[in-house]
Amino acid sequence: MRTFQRLQSSKWLMLLLVPVCTLLLFTSCTKKSEERPDPIRYRLKWLFNTSVVGDLWAEEKGLFEREGLIVEVKPGGPEKDAIKELELGHAQFGVASADMVIRAVSKGSPVAVIAQLFQTNPLQWIYRPGETEIKTPEDLRGKVIGVTFGGNDEAILRALLAKYGILEEEVELFSVRYDYTPFYERRVDLWPVYRNAQGIIIKEKLEGAGERAAFFDPHRAGVPFVANSVVTTKEMLQKSPEIVEKFTKALLAGWEASMAPESGAEAIALIHRFDPDTPLNQIEQQYAITKRMVKPSADFPVGTIDRAAWQMTEQIMVEQGLIPGAVGVARALAPVISR
Amino acid sequence: MLHRRLYQFLLVYTLGLGLLLSFKYLLDLSDYVIPGVQDIRKAATSVFFRYLMDTLDTLSVAVVGHLIAILMAGIVGIIGRSASWSGAFIRAAAYNIQAYPIVAVAPIIFILFGDGMVSRLLIAAMICYFPLLLSFIGVFAEPVTDIEHFYTATGRMNWRLQIGIRAFENMAKLTTVITGSATLAMVGTIVAEFIAATAGIGHSIRIALYQSDLSKILVALFLIGIFNSLYLFLLEWIGKRIRVRLDPPTGGRGARRGRLILKGKEIRNPI
Repeated sequence: MRTFQRLQSSKWLMLLLVPVCTLLLFTSCTKKSEERPDPIRYRLKWLFNTSVVGDLWAEEKGLFEREGLIVEVKPGGPEKDAIKELELGHAQFGVASADMVIRAVSKGSPVAVIAQLFQTNPLQWIYRPGETEIKTPEDLRGKVIGVTFGGNDEAILRALLAKYGILEEEVELFSVRYDYTPFYERRVDLWPVYRNAQGIIIKEKLEGAGERAAFFDPHRAGVPFVANSVVTTKEMLQKSPEIVEKFTKALLAGWEASMAPESGAEAIALIHRFDPDTPLNQIEQQYAITKRMVKPSADFPVGTIDRAAWQMTEQIMVEQGLIPGAVGVARALAPVISR
Repeated sequence: MLHRRLYQFLLVYTLGLGLLLSFKYLLDLSDYVIPGVQDIRKAATSVFFRYLMDTLDTLSVAVVGHLIAILMAGIVGIIGRSASWSGAFIRAAAYNIQAYPIVAVAPIIFILFGDGMVSRLLIAAMICYFPLLLSFIGVFAEPVTDIEHFYTATGRMNWRLQIGIRAFENMAKLTTVITGSATLAMVGTIVAEFIAATAGIGHSIRIALYQSDLSKILVALFLIGIFNSLYLFLLEWIGKRIRVRLDPPTGGRGARRGRLILKGKEIRNPI
């Protein structure tokens, strides 16, 4: 007994316990991994909301399993960067915006775009049509325009200003964050929003206060800046082409199904399950707009890569000095499912 | 002392950078994930001066915010030191305010005060005042029985004298916590700028983060470290000067002053 007590109080016991516990932990992990293969991780760009309806559909309807894949769809966020996670091996697929992809390519990242989800960039500027008249891009002169410095809205806006010969001195750029108070207080005339997300919410708030809201769409003004696309690594494309193909097939099938006219109610309910904080009526509107941006017409195949728009996006970034020179982004475009 | 501070920082920074670069080359990561030496050098050349000005801007706000925090903590510490109901209430309120994460409170501050200097100051002060407050309450609430007994027995004790005695007796503790909280003031200012301000190095870091440009962030971290070291050195130097002046065993003019305080003359409380 005395010996045991002495042993118990000694440091040796601790030194013995630590490696034993580590070994046990390691063994349990190994056993688990033997039973079930590691899932494929798919990192989204943002939190679960309407913009990821097709991804959720593919996961929830078992489309990945049907292809023999175990896929873990992980929400993104402001600090998440799918391309970095791909390189570090934390994810095998991800969603990234075109500016992220082009920046990564310019720094030697082996990223490859396998599908383009949004055909129109949802980034637009909301304004009050009664007080701010924007009929043509030239009407931006003299306005206070909200912009996220360093964000892709800054690049889009600067490209717009350059395209229409508007000098920076002719507009006032206002640094924006997540708080919309400056817009509500009328300190800013145009505020950048994602048309299919916050755009709906702010519009509703304005209408609730008896005001009108309209949106300025840079895409219509001739600046087609590509938005969310599905990415993987070139290594993955070369070493596991069958996994990439199965994944893309299942994912795009999920998007197609969620965009189908008969799936509307089910898709909306699915989004609401993952995003319970957004009211159903707002999700309905968000879904309708997302659908237009992802599948512009009934026969348009979801995931089509718009090469011209990618090249235009690259050109804008070069002109804005966001990358040191042309990177030949076309080489990073690798549509897996050719139609 | 200054060169030691800078030397220590440079050592830590170089080690950190070395670790990052070895990680990059070991795992064969692109410059997008971890920038290479050439990339960092390019970023340093292009943004160094701008970031230097931004860091100075941040430091100036941090210094003022720190002073406000010392003042706030001093006042709350003095009021909250008593065992009365009001003292307990002030302490509870001060602790509760601290319980809210600053990222949740910051938007309210920015709505109320805009995205200018006041908000940055307030957030910097809020972040660094809590450790100050804890120390101040601890110091001001703990009686120095040996000395206070005399004044209490002779009926000459008042709150100012009490605070004076307790502060004097714990001067080393107070200067240490003030120096330590300076880093938090700098962190607080950077957080405020990162969340919503339109100036300072926190704002620049945010833009660099949007552009996934780690090389610029590394340049910013270098400058923040250098200026933080300088500020800490300055505070340590001031603290040392104060202690030398007040500490009786050190001799000289300081010794006389220390004794004068103990006799109550410096704090205008004649015996």
